[in-house]
Amino acid sequence: MQQHATITEATFIHDANQRLARRPRGRPIHRMLVSFSVAYFAAALATDLAYWQMPDVMWERFSIWLIAAGLIVAGLATIAYAIDLAGGRRIDRPAWPRMVGYALAVLLALTNAFVHSRDGYTAVVPTGLTLSALVVVVLVLTALVARALTNRHQFGV
Amino acid sequence: MMHALENIRAAKLPRLAALVAAVAGLGLAGCDDHAGDPKMQIGANPILPAIQQYLMPPMRIAKAVGWGSDETPAATQGLQVHALATGLEHPRSLYVLPNGDVLVVESNGPKAPIYRPKDIITGWVQSFAGAKAKDANRITLLRGTNGDGTPEVRTVFLDHLNSPFGVALIGHELYVANTDGIVRYPYQDGQTSITAAGTKLTDLPGGPIDHHWTKALLASPDGSKLYVGVGSNSNVGENGIGAEYERAAIWEVDVASGAHRIFASGVRNPTGLQWEPETGKLWAIANERDEIGPDLVPDYLTSVRDGGFYGWPYSYYGQHLDPRIMPQRPDLVATAIAPDYALSSHVAPLGVAMYAGTELPANYRGGAFVSEHGSWNRTPLNGYKVVFVPFSAGKPSGPAQDVVTGFLDANNHARGRPVGLAVDRSGGLLIADDVGNAVWRVSSLKPGSAPKPAS
Repeated sequence: MQQHATITEATFIHDANQRLARRPRGRPIHRMLVSFSVAYFAAALATDLAYWQMPDVMWERFSIWLIAAGLIVAGLATIAYAIDLAGGRRIDRPAWPRMVGYALAVLLALTNAFVHSRDGYTAVVPTGLTLSALVVVVLVLTALVARALTNRHQFGV
Repeated sequence: MMHALENIRAAKLPRLAALVAAVAGLGLAGCDDHAGDPKMQIGANPILPAIQQYLMPPMRIAKAVGWGSDETPAATQGLQVHALATGLEHPRSLYVLPNGDVLVVESNGPKAPIYRPKDIITGWVQSFAGAKAKDANRITLLRGTNGDGTPEVRTVFLDHLNSPFGVALIGHELYVANTDGIVRYPYQDGQTSITAAGTKLTDLPGGPIDHHWTKALLASPDGSKLYVGVGSNSNVGENGIGAEYERAAIWEVDVASGAHRIFASGVRNPTGLQWEPETGKLWAIANERDEIGPDLVPDYLTSVRDGGFYGWPYSYYGQHLDPRIMPQRPDLVATAIAPDYALSSHVAPLGVAMYAGTELPANYRGGAFVSEHGSWNRTPLNGYKVVFVPFSAGKPSGPAQDVVTGFLDANNHARGRPVGLAVDRSGGLLIADDVGNAVWRVSSLKPGSAPKPAS
């Protein structure tokens, strides 16, 4: 019992400290939206790969809807980001490498949406597929760089 | 190590972003590319540039504005145009009955399904060009009894059809090609409306996609066969090759049994069929594919060979491969026939009439009038007129001449767009206009008659 109370107390203090350090004004809205768009873009790469292996129009249609959905959610995420900034909510640090990486990925995805709107095979192979892969590569690199920088901050490297 | 990474990040990412933005911008700006002179693509040997693929395919529509009260299309020297009927609902094709009555098919396609985000945008843009008019689904009869060329009788001839286009009369049986089947109706001379229920002769490829919905119809001279133009279900197979079953073809339907065979295939959208009067051969106009450049692929007028394959979707203009279709079919491409006569790119021929009448000057006899509905994805606009292709010895014998123009106003807005053509009993050329909602009649400018008003 005694032990349990201590743990709770310790956890609470730790949590409170961390929140205090990152300007505790609630959960950021944009973060969930960003995750959704990343999932859409990654899924589009999967359906592009499927189309490349077996050119059935179903896969191409999956891809363009996934990319379009990703772009719409990315647009919403941008609006949410502005609201989060204005409302003083917590923004993941460091902010600008994440922002630049994400913006680059969205720009590539936008280009990809146009390529995927072509008719037939060349809507995907080779340009569309390449762009879908690039979007995912940029997002993964952004996450890795952001994590590395976060760790450096935390451990004072 | 971290600093190095930071430097790379700081230096490379924005630069890459700028590069991508620049490339994207280039692609979008690239829409306004250099379309060649359409004259280079008229006749037997059109110049075909290399394929271009777009980030954003160019859309250049002529906003539909309609005709002013005194405006008419302009006819070339020696001819005049007047309105046979106005206030119609999206008239698409015309048919002249033996007693001189004119049938006007008022029709539009079924609602296009949305398979991709692009379909939403395309539908929205096309609504500005007047392509989304309500589907009247009927045939109106026009009859002029006193010979002044203006009809006194106007009745609903047939109603409750399903996106009709082609009409053909064989004896006392009238065949109407709805988008999904040919229906036979009994017809008596002089009838002004048909109330009898039709009987279906055969199904035709219709929904659910029905991308090219018009079904052109032509009876064989002996009345035993009907030839049907069945358009493709896509631009270039992007709805899957399964959706193209027996499409992009000219069907031969046996009138007695309703059985059909594919007379010719690989014709993307055969919108008009005619018999060439001198040789008795079947000729067709066809709309070719889009989105590979302002000068690809020329629409065409061609004789149709029994069993012939004309390339779509695997190749165009003979054996020019289209990379957008996978898997490819080199076996079919090897047999692909190049069409006889190019009309230039994206003009959208939707009506053809071989002229055997005597009303118009003699130089028009034996040749083909072709109506060009007009381009929607090319800058500058192309088409929006009726042209004449002279024939000699059963073959086109010279460049196409503009016969009726003025469908576009000075601002490149569409007052009208020509569609179906027919020659009336006295030899006048009739033009259906689905944006102006009119039928125009072209006749010889008689000496002493009033000069036509400038439009």
